[in-house]
Amino acid sequence: MTTLTPVSSPKFQAGTFKSDLKPIWCPGCGDFGVLTALTRALAAVGRPPHEIAFISGIGCSSRIPGYTTAYGFNTVHGRALPIAQGIKVANPALLVIAAGGDGDGFSIGGGHVAHVIRRNIDLTYLVMDNHIYGLTKGQLSPTSHRGRKTVTSNFGSLEDPVNPLLYVMGYGASFVAQGSPVDMAGLTKVIEEGIRFPGFAFINIQSPCVTYGEEEQQLKAQKAKMQSLGAMGHDPSDLAKATELARDYGTKLYTGVLYRNPNPPPTYGEMAAERHHALESQAVPRHDILKRFLPTH
Amino acid sequence: MIQDVIIGIAGAGGDGVISAGESLITAAALEGYHGMMTKSFGSQIRGGEASCRVRLSTHPVLNPNGPLDVAVALNWEDFRRFGAELPVESSTMVVYESRTGVAADQLPLEGVRPGVVFSVPIAEMAQQNAGTEKAKNIVIIGLLAGWFGIGRESMLAGIRKKFARKGAEVVEGNARAFQAGLDFAEAHPLKEDRKLGAPHNRSAKMLTDGNDICAAAAIFAGCTFFGGYPITPSTEIMQFLDREIWKYGGAVLQAEDEIAGVGAVVGASFAGKKAMTATSGPGMSLKTEMLGLASIAELPLVCINVQRGGPSTGIPTKAEQSDLFQAAFSAHGDCLRPVLAPVSVGDTFGITVEAFNLAEQYQTPVIVLSDQEIAQRKETVEPIDTSRFGLVERRRPTDAELVNYTRFKVTESGISPISQPGVPGGNYLASGIEHNEAGGPTANGETHARMNEKRFRKFNSLKNRRDLFAVEGEPDAPIGLVSWGSVSGVAKEALRLAQAEGLHVKLLVPKLLYPVVETVYQDFFASVRRGLFIEQSFQGQLYRLVRMYADVPARVRPLAKSGSNPIQPTEVLERLREMVASLQATHQHAEAIEG
Repeated sequence: MTTLTPVSSPKFQAGTFKSDLKPIWCPGCGDFGVLTALTRALAAVGRPPHEIAFISGIGCSSRIPGYTTAYGFNTVHGRALPIAQGIKVANPALLVIAAGGDGDGFSIGGGHVAHVIRRNIDLTYLVMDNHIYGLTKGQLSPTSHRGRKTVTSNFGSLEDPVNPLLYVMGYGASFVAQGSPVDMAGLTKVIEEGIRFPGFAFINIQSPCVTYGEEEQQLKAQKAKMQSLGAMGHDPSDLAKATELARDYGTKLYTGVLYRNPNPPPTYGEMAAERHHALESQAVPRHDILKRFLPTH
Repeated sequence: MIQDVIIGIAGAGGDGVISAGESLITAAALEGYHGMMTKSFGSQIRGGEASCRVRLSTHPVLNPNGPLDVAVALNWEDFRRFGAELPVESSTMVVYESRTGVAADQLPLEGVRPGVVFSVPIAEMAQQNAGTEKAKNIVIIGLLAGWFGIGRESMLAGIRKKFARKGAEVVEGNARAFQAGLDFAEAHPLKEDRKLGAPHNRSAKMLTDGNDICAAAAIFAGCTFFGGYPITPSTEIMQFLDREIWKYGGAVLQAEDEIAGVGAVVGASFAGKKAMTATSGPGMSLKTEMLGLASIAELPLVCINVQRGGPSTGIPTKAEQSDLFQAAFSAHGDCLRPVLAPVSVGDTFGITVEAFNLAEQYQTPVIVLSDQEIAQRKETVEPIDTSRFGLVERRRPTDAELVNYTRFKVTESGISPISQPGVPGGNYLASGIEHNEAGGPTANGETHARMNEKRFRKFNSLKNRRDLFAVEGEPDAPIGLVSWGSVSGVAKEALRLAQAEGLHVKLLVPKLLYPVVETVYQDFFASVRRGLFIEQSFQGQLYRLVRMYADVPARVRPLAKSGSNPIQPTEVLERLREMVASLQATHQHAEAIEG
């Protein structure tokens, strides 16, 4: 089991990472809690804001980079992951975080999730899962349950929801966790662990929509339902058990680290660095690049 | 002696037709000839028919098209499948495999009876000398080397090198097959008027294609990130970069789709790196949203579109110039991004470097419209002195500017200092959402108008780039041609033919297609009495694009044709003759009235 590097005297306070922009979120939105937990986690990790690139898609939750002091990029709908990967590959020294909602990550951008996992690019992906499209005022989302009535499912949804936990585990993600703003300490801890994990880390956050969300997704209901994986004695290195627990998404609410690969595979960045080292001596000076086109028989 | 020869070879897949063409043009490049080679295949993934056209000349070759001077058919079914791609005329010298059993005076060519025909036992010569019919293509290059006096030594050296690891017996067998070709040619010499003259200078030329040289230009320009998705006919750019870019500390990311490919490029650019993607029509359609993001976030990137026939899947393996509207306009919202087009394989180097420079200077996506023909034809290129090309870096903030850093500061030029993650004090929010100077999201109409104005104003100086327009021919010629991309080679050849006939013509070739530099076109049209746009698209997209911005008089018309059916220089020449005749008629009419 990987242990966290203890941070004896944090260089930064959570406030260091909060910008002056006032969030557009509705009062009581779960995303406020996510922002607080994230800034606390970043303070604990101890990297300065200018070394952090924080990338999001489109949606209420995707506004979050602007509320931090990191380099932020509020991109287009569903594409936070490809852009975040380009950033990390281009400059592996950066701490890269991607964020978005369940629609961003599992509907319009769902195709990208499998690929960031198989590339194992070292970034942390926070999904603020509220089971609804909030920014566009209450339509069905990919994690809305069957039967859910919304303005685009007036007679109840005929579709089963995506299971984000099982989805990423199915593609072999090495770090999978879930959190809720109900448990700020726990949420802060899993975000910190995800950031420190060497490789792609996925954190699903049950962040309720106070305006369009259902009663059972609100903080009060979550509090009653929430089960801490740590308290349950779950061993995060147990893939079979983690997969079994992941199946309960939608009926139960587990928080904490569901799965952490005890032998994490090499990251894309590590392998790229090795390749760069092996090949650098073969580079011809850039101004001689055309010489290869002179024919030799 | 002739100055120019076009050779077409066709056979079944596996006959080594392409490799024969490559040996020939490589030998020619080594000896200082100019040349172009195009390939064509049946639609099968493997096998099926294959053909190549090799045009060799003592002068620079402007386009690969035209009727064949020499046709080589390994079998007639495959040869005939290429139809108009291998046009045989009565003046064409025809060489064909004896085993086809066709009589020399009964060639299966409709309506044509070539005067010079050789039935050659190619397979038999291969079998006898090399012990295998696989050496048919070696016999063919022997024949061509013998007849045109090109590459006797270099091709033999090439054969020795190519077969070295197969052992001495194979090497000697193939060398004998080559010699058998030479001997046949010697025993059946060409008339003087079919022999090719000596090259103007004997210094070796580079030999490459548009995709490879584009990728090499990216390396030269300092590109260290490529994200993309395989798509015909652009994939060789990614393949070349994957072989090279890692050596420079860079990376090629073969993305899960076209969107992710350009998305990663947007990310790499945000991280401060020079980054590029390459695609073709369908991929461009998918990348559109990301290009809009790069425009509003003011991030430099280069997007190569190797045009093919469209819409939709269209004709993936043939060139067309029908993506100009898409390059200029496929974005929602008001946005402007430069569009460049190279005219040849060699020109692709400078245009690609220019694309990186413009992207960095103006903090914008830049689209390069190559096309299948430039991208995939092999062409000899005079060695390029890379020291002639300066490189531009994005305007990064000074230390003073990093105090209360304002990413999208409205400056006089419209260009704002751009920071990147890792730089202390340069932290900012980039976004696709409209933003104020500091990067904060806004829905304010006045701010939107001001930022739009800034994002357009920064391109004002681009309109002074007259060096991105080439004019050839007599300055006071009454007839003006306008052409772009690979088709400008056809126009240029037509110009030469017209001049040889004593016609007074000039040619404008824009390499910066968008923004439309109105004055360049208006000055050009004002100086001529008739004008003609020559374009490989059904609509004549440049003609129509220019009409949106500049006053185009009615005496300027388009000659526009769908792709996969190349415009021939002779066709342009015919139009020029008509234009001259119409001008003379108008002139006489005017004189009669005045008289």
